[in-house]
Amino acid sequence: MRELRFHRDLYRGESVDEAIKTFDRYAKIERAEEGEHWVVRLEAASPARERRVALELSNFALGLTIRSRAGA
Amino acid sequence: MSPPESPTTNPIAGIPEDLARVDLDERRAILDVEASLYPVEAVYGAAYVFIDRCYVLLDRPEPTKLRIVLTPKQLDEDAAEGLRRMVGELANELVSAAWRHQITQENRAQIEAVTMQAIAGAMGPPSLDDLEDFDFTDEAFEDPLGIAMSWEEKYSKKDDAAETAEPAATQREEEEE
Repeated sequence: MRELRFHRDLYRGESVDEAIKTFDRYAKIERAEEGEHWVVRLEAASPARERRVALELSNFALGLTIRSRAGA
Repeated sequence: MSPPESPTTNPIAGIPEDLARVDLDERRAILDVEASLYPVEAVYGAAYVFIDRCYVLLDRPEPTKLRIVLTPKQLDEDAAEGLRRMVGELANELVSAAWRHQITQENRAQIEAVTMQAIAGAMGPPSLDDLEDFDFTDEAFEDPLGIAMSWEEKYSKKDDAAETAEPAATQREEEEE
């Protein structure tokens, strides 16, 4: 189980949701809200896969957030 | 994966540890910057430059600080040196992005004016149809002296019944003029 914490000031909730939807097929992913963070917990077949999915998901969420802010 | 400190972080030569450090186990670099010096937009700008080479995670460990965690997608054998180089590049990019952001903020009005002029120019002159449709009845300014009135409006004989009933004194004044 790996946990990602996305600060709500820095990441759009919609972008995090979109990223989760995109990587949903590679791992079991859950999202929660804890204080100032969107918390994403993911579980994959192996630790290496888990790490890779987590890293890709975080990049994807950041990219979407930046793009949406630039377009706003 | 999440930015919290692991006990295995190492300082980078020449950079204070509370500013930047590397985590060799996770093969990532962590950089903390003052939010007052680097606005969020500048951090986004700098992060976006690295997004093709690194996995980037942002966080706000304290209200006044922003944290950038870079995990290079590919790293040479000398991971420490690769991460150190990456932190240096990120720091440079941050300064550049913050400076560009400041210039944009200072020149925003000017940029908007120039852009509006360029767009208006690209649209070309108005056609006759546009001019025909244009509503000139809107009075754009006050005209107490009647400067914008046509000669006919100002000096034509007033044959309106209401105007013939003007006081004689006014007529006399006009004749004297």
